[in-house]
Amino acid sequence: MLKHLIRKEFLQIRRNSFLPRLIVMFPIMIMCIMPWVMNQEVKNIRVVVVDTDRTPSSQRLVHQIEASRYFLFQGQAPSYSEAMRQIEHSQADVILEVRDGRVLIAANAVNGTKGAIGSSYLSQIVMSSSGSRLSPSSVLTLYNKEQSYKRFMIPALLAIVVMLMCGFLPALNIVSEKESGTIEQINVTPVSKFSFILAKLIPYWVIALFVITVCLLLSWLIYGITCQGPLLLVYLLAMLLALFFSSFGLLISNYSETLQQAIFVMWFFVVCLLLLSGLFTPVRSMPDWSYLTTYVNPMHYFIDAIRTVFLRGGGLSSIAHQVLALALIGIIMSAWAVQSYKKNS
Amino acid sequence: MNAIEVSHISKSYGKVKALQDVSFTVPQGEVFGLIGPDGAGKTSLYRILCTLLLPDEGQASVDGFDVLKDMRAIRRRVGYMPGRFSLYQDLTVEENLQFFATLFGTTVDAGYDSIRAIYSQIEPFRNRKAGALSGGMKQKLALSCALVHQPSVLFLDEPTTGVDPVSRKELWDMLEILRERQITIVASTPYLDEVRRCERVAFLDQGCLRGIGTPDDILTQFADVFNPPPLKRSEAVKSEGMKSEAESPYVIEVSHLVKAFGTFHAVDDISFKVRKGEIFGFLGANGAGKTTAMHMLTGLNQPTSGTGRVVGYDISTEHEQIKRHIGYMSQKFSLYEDLTVAENIRLFAGIYGMKDREISVKTDELLRRLKFEEHKDDLVSSLPLGWKQKLAFSVSIFHEPGIVFLDEPTGGVDPATRRQFWELIYDAAHRGITVFVTTHYMDEAEYCDRISIMVDGKIKAIGTPDELKQTYGQEDMDHVFTLLAREAKRSSD
Amino acid sequence: MKQFVSFIMKEARHILRDGRTMLILFGMPVVLMLIFGFAISTDVRNVRTIVVTSHMDHRTSQSVQRLAASEYFTLVSTVATPVEAERMIRHQQADMAVVFEADYASGRGGVQFIVDGCDPNMAQQWTAYAQQVIAGGLPSMISTRLLYNPQMRSAYNFVPAIMGMLLMLICAMMTSISIVREKERGTMEVLLVSPVRPFMVIVAKAVPYLVLAFVILASILLMSRFVLDVPLEGSLLWIVIVSGIYILLALSLGLLISNIAQSQLVALLMSAMVLLMPIVMLSGMLFPVESMPTPLQWLSAIVPPRYYIQAMRKLMIMGVGIREVAREVAILSAMTVLLLSVALAKFKNRLE
Repeated sequence: MLKHLIRKEFLQIRRNSFLPRLIVMFPIMIMCIMPWVMNQEVKNIRVVVVDTDRTPSSQRLVHQIEASRYFLFQGQAPSYSEAMRQIEHSQADVILEVRDGRVLIAANAVNGTKGAIGSSYLSQIVMSSSGSRLSPSSVLTLYNKEQSYKRFMIPALLAIVVMLMCGFLPALNIVSEKESGTIEQINVTPVSKFSFILAKLIPYWVIALFVITVCLLLSWLIYGITCQGPLLLVYLLAMLLALFFSSFGLLISNYSETLQQAIFVMWFFVVCLLLLSGLFTPVRSMPDWSYLTTYVNPMHYFIDAIRTVFLRGGGLSSIAHQVLALALIGIIMSAWAVQSYKKNS
Repeated sequence: MNAIEVSHISKSYGKVKALQDVSFTVPQGEVFGLIGPDGAGKTSLYRILCTLLLPDEGQASVDGFDVLKDMRAIRRRVGYMPGRFSLYQDLTVEENLQFFATLFGTTVDAGYDSIRAIYSQIEPFRNRKAGALSGGMKQKLALSCALVHQPSVLFLDEPTTGVDPVSRKELWDMLEILRERQITIVASTPYLDEVRRCERVAFLDQGCLRGIGTPDDILTQFADVFNPPPLKRSEAVKSEGMKSEAESPYVIEVSHLVKAFGTFHAVDDISFKVRKGEIFGFLGANGAGKTTAMHMLTGLNQPTSGTGRVVGYDISTEHEQIKRHIGYMSQKFSLYEDLTVAENIRLFAGIYGMKDREISVKTDELLRRLKFEEHKDDLVSSLPLGWKQKLAFSVSIFHEPGIVFLDEPTGGVDPATRRQFWELIYDAAHRGITVFVTTHYMDEAEYCDRISIMVDGKIKAIGTPDELKQTYGQEDMDHVFTLLAREAKRSSD
Repeated sequence: MKQFVSFIMKEARHILRDGRTMLILFGMPVVLMLIFGFAISTDVRNVRTIVVTSHMDHRTSQSVQRLAASEYFTLVSTVATPVEAERMIRHQQADMAVVFEADYASGRGGVQFIVDGCDPNMAQQWTAYAQQVIAGGLPSMISTRLLYNPQMRSAYNFVPAIMGMLLMLICAMMTSISIVREKERGTMEVLLVSPVRPFMVIVAKAVPYLVLAFVILASILLMSRFVLDVPLEGSLLWIVIVSGIYILLALSLGLLISNIAQSQLVALLMSAMVLLMPIVMLSGMLFPVESMPTPLQWLSAIVPPRYYIQAMRKLMIMGVGIREVAREVAILSAMTVLLLSVALAKFKNRLE
C-alpha cells in the first residue's frame, strides 16, 4: 500500500510543471549567489579625520590610517560638525578627531557591528601609533583561518535549503489535495493515517538528500570548501532536519484551509526559528529568556552541530546530544502530524 | 430586432479549436437554448458574447452593439452567470447577494421579486457563510445573484447543474416571467425537460454548430445523443435478483441517525435498510442532508446520535473496517487529474491491497471493457467529463467492494453518456455489488430498485418507484418528487 | 460611488474573516520587533573562555581576574596546555582560550589568543575585547563615541528593515493573491461583465490593503518608539510620506504580479521568489550591500526596498532632514511611477 502511495507522490511531483525545476534550480541558485551575499565582513570603513592639532604625532597617525587595509580614507574635514555632515550624507562611517593630544573616535553605530568593529580597529591603530604599552600578543585562529564568511555561511545555507524545500512544499501539498477534493476520496479508503503521512514524508527526504548533495558538490566546485568532518554526519543531520520540517509542514497543512493560510503560518514559524537559531547572531549573546527558546529550536541544534562537523571537523561524539535532540523533536513533530490528520470527523 | 447576431465566429486555444465558423441569430425576447456535450465550446461562446474573449475570426453583436468595439456598452446591458460561478465563500449568503446587487447598480429590495421563488428557499440561511452551504444551495444562491438585476440580455451557462428538480422548475418559471418583460435569455443545460422549455435550441458539438431549431426538431434529429432507448435491466437477471433480494441480508441498517451542526439538524432521525445487491436511490432536494448522511455511512463523519451498520460494521466505532469494504465516488470529481488513467487505477487498487500482477491483469480487462485502451496513458485532466465519471466509477468498484456509494455521479453530461454510465451500474449490481446512489435526474430514479426521498433532513417516502407512484397517485417519479418536496416546504414555512 | 464603497466593504470582510492570516499579519511585526529588539544581539557576551597557564603567578592571576570580572567573558576552566584548550573548543565547550606564556609574569612573554574562528566577525571582536580587558581598558587619551546608537542595539538597524519587508509583503503579496483568487474562482468574470469599470475593481481591491499597510506602519512606529525605545529622530510627516510612496510602489508590484500569475500558487511563489528573497538578501537588510561583489551590487540597485530601508534608517534613526535622503526618495518615486504605469498599461479588460 505504502509503495503505491509513494509512487503517486513522486508522479505528482514529476508531472508538476514547476516543482522539478524548482528542486533542481533552487539549490544551484542559492549556492551560486548566497555565499557572496551573506557576507557580514566589515571592510572598507570610510574614515574622515579632523586633525586640529597638526602635530607630527597626529600626522603620523593619519598616515597609518591611510595605509591601513581596513579603512578607506575620506580625507580631512576642517571641523567636527563638517565631519558629521559627511556622516549624515552617508559619505563616511567613522570620525577621528585629534584635539589637544586627545583622540575622539565617533562611529555611526546604526549598524551596531560595523560601528563597534570600526571603532575598535581604529583604537588599535591609535594605541600602536602612540606607542602605548601593551603586552605583546598574538592570535591563533582555529578552523576558519582565512576568516572567510563563505566558509561560515555554507553550512547555514544547507539548513536554509532543507528548510525551504522540505518545509514549504509539504505545507502546500495537503492543502492543495483539500482544495481539489481528492483528500475526500483518500479518506474513504482503508489507508492508515500513518502510511498516508509517511508516503508524503518520504519524497521530501529523497528531495532533501538530492539538494544536500547538490549543495555540497557546488560548495566544493565553486568555492573549494569541503566538509572537515565525516560526510555521513552531514547527511544524518540533514535527514533529521528534513524529518522535522516536512512533518511540521504537513502539520500546518492539516490545520489550514487555504494555501494562503498555510504559507503565512509556515513563513511566520520559519522566520522565528531561523532568527533565534544562531544562524546570523551568536546564541550566547542572547538574553537568558530568549536563550531558553533555543532548547526547543531544532534549527539551533542543527546549526550548532553542522558547524561543528563541517568547520571544526567534529565527530559523532562531539554532536551526540544535538543529534539526539533533533531526532526527538523530529519524532514528536511527525507523531503530531499523523495524529492531527483526521480521516473521520 | 435581433438581440444577438453571431456570424462566422471562430476561436482556438493553441491547437484546440473551441469554435469553428458558428453563426446564428436570436430575436429579442426569446429563450434560446445552447446544448451540447462538455467541451463543445459553449463557454467560449458565452465569453465572446460577454466581451470577455476576443474571437479569432467573425463578428458578433449583442443588443445592437459590436462585441469587438463596444465593450462598455455591452457590459452595461448583459447579465452573465458563468458555469463555475463561484461565490465569495467567506461572505454570508446575504452579503453575497447584497454585493452583487450593488455591483449591478440595484438593491436586493428592488430585485427581490425576480428572485423570490429561489431565494426564499435559502433565505433561512442568510447569515451562514456561502462556503458552508451544500452544493445545490450554492448554485441557487449563485442564480439569485445573477438574476437580482434585470439586464436586457441574460447568459446562463448551465445554471441548474446539481439543482433539484423542484427548484429547476421554479427557475424556469422565473425565466418565463423575465421573457415576458422582453429580456432575451440564452441558457445551456444538460436536462431534457429544460431544453423543451426553450423556444429554439442550438446544438453545438466540438466547436461546430450541428443544428438549430425547435427543441422537438433538434431532439429527434439527434435522438442518439438526447433520446437514447430507455434502459432495461434484463428481465431474467432482475427477477432472479428480486428473488434472492427477498432473502438476501441487509448490508446497510440505519436507525434514528442524527447529525447536528450546532442547533441545525442536517440529518434528522433517519432509519432505513438496504439489502445486498440492491440499487438504492437516495433522493432529496438540495440541502436536504443527502451528502451528510452519506458521509456518516462512509465513515467520513461521526453521527451525533443514532446507530448504523454498514457491511456489518458499526459506523461510529468501526469506520476504518467499513472503509475496507466499500467504494466511494464523491460529488467533486475525485481522481488525481495529474496522474494517467492507468496510474490512478493502480494507485487505488494498491491502496486496497491488491497484488501488482492482479492489478495489471484487471486494468487491461477493465480498459478493454470500457473501450478505453488507447487512453491508458493519458492524463485524467485531458479526458472529457463523461469519461472521467465512468472511469471514477470503475475505479471505485475495482476492488470488488460490498457496497459502492455514488454522490451525484452524472452531473452535467448528456443523456446518452448518462445511459452508458447506468449500464455500468447495472453491470456492477449484477455482480452482487450494492449500489447506493444520489441523483437529481428523475429518469435515473426510475432505474433504481428502491428509492428514498429525503426532505429537510428526514426521509419522507421509501419504496420501489412503482410503489411510490401508486401511493401518491402520480404518473412518474418527477411528479412524486415535486409533490413531496413542495409539500414539505409548505409544512416547514 | 455606492458600488465602490460596497466593493471596499466586501474586500475588508475577506481580510477580517480570515482570522489566522490577520493574526499572522499583526503578529509578525510584533514578534519580529521583539526578536530584533530584545531576543537576539551581536553583543560580545558570555564568551566561554579557557585560561591556559602552567603556573599562576601574581600578574597572571590579576589578568585572569580582570577577564573573569568583565561582563564579556565567562571562564569555564583552567588548563595547562594549549592542546587541551583546542580539544575543548572543538567539542564546543569553549569559544576562546587565553594562553599566558611562561615568562608572562616577568613582562617579557606575551599572551596568545586561540579563538574559534568560525564566525569571523565575532572572533575578531572577541580578541579585540580580550586584549583591551587584559590591558586594563583603553588608554585615557582615547575616547570612543558610538553615534545614534550608543548601546549598539540591533533594533536600530532592523526596525527600518522590518518596515521595508512587511510593507512590501502585505501590499504586493496580499493584493496579488486576492486578485488572482478571484480569477481562479471565476468571480472575476462576473466582476468584469458588470457595469463597474474594471479599473475601479482594481482600485477598490487595493484600498483595504493600503489601509492595512498604514495600520501596520503605525503599529510598528508606535512599538519601536514605546516598547523598543528606538527614537524617532526625524520628522514623522516625512517618514509617513516616504512610506506612502513605498506602499504605492508595492501595490503596483502586486498588481503587476496579478496580471501575470494565473493561479494563487503561482502568485504566492512569484511573490516569494521575486519579492521576498531579494528583499531579505539584496536590500541590505541583513547583509551590507557594500560587502557584496560588484555584480550583485548592481543587481541590488533595482531592488526598491534597498532605497526605502536606507531612507528610513537615515530619517528615523539618524534624524537627518529630507534633503539628505532626496536621492533615495527620487529613485523610489521614479520606480513607483514606472511600475504603476506598466501595471496599468498591462491591465486586461478581458480574460486571457
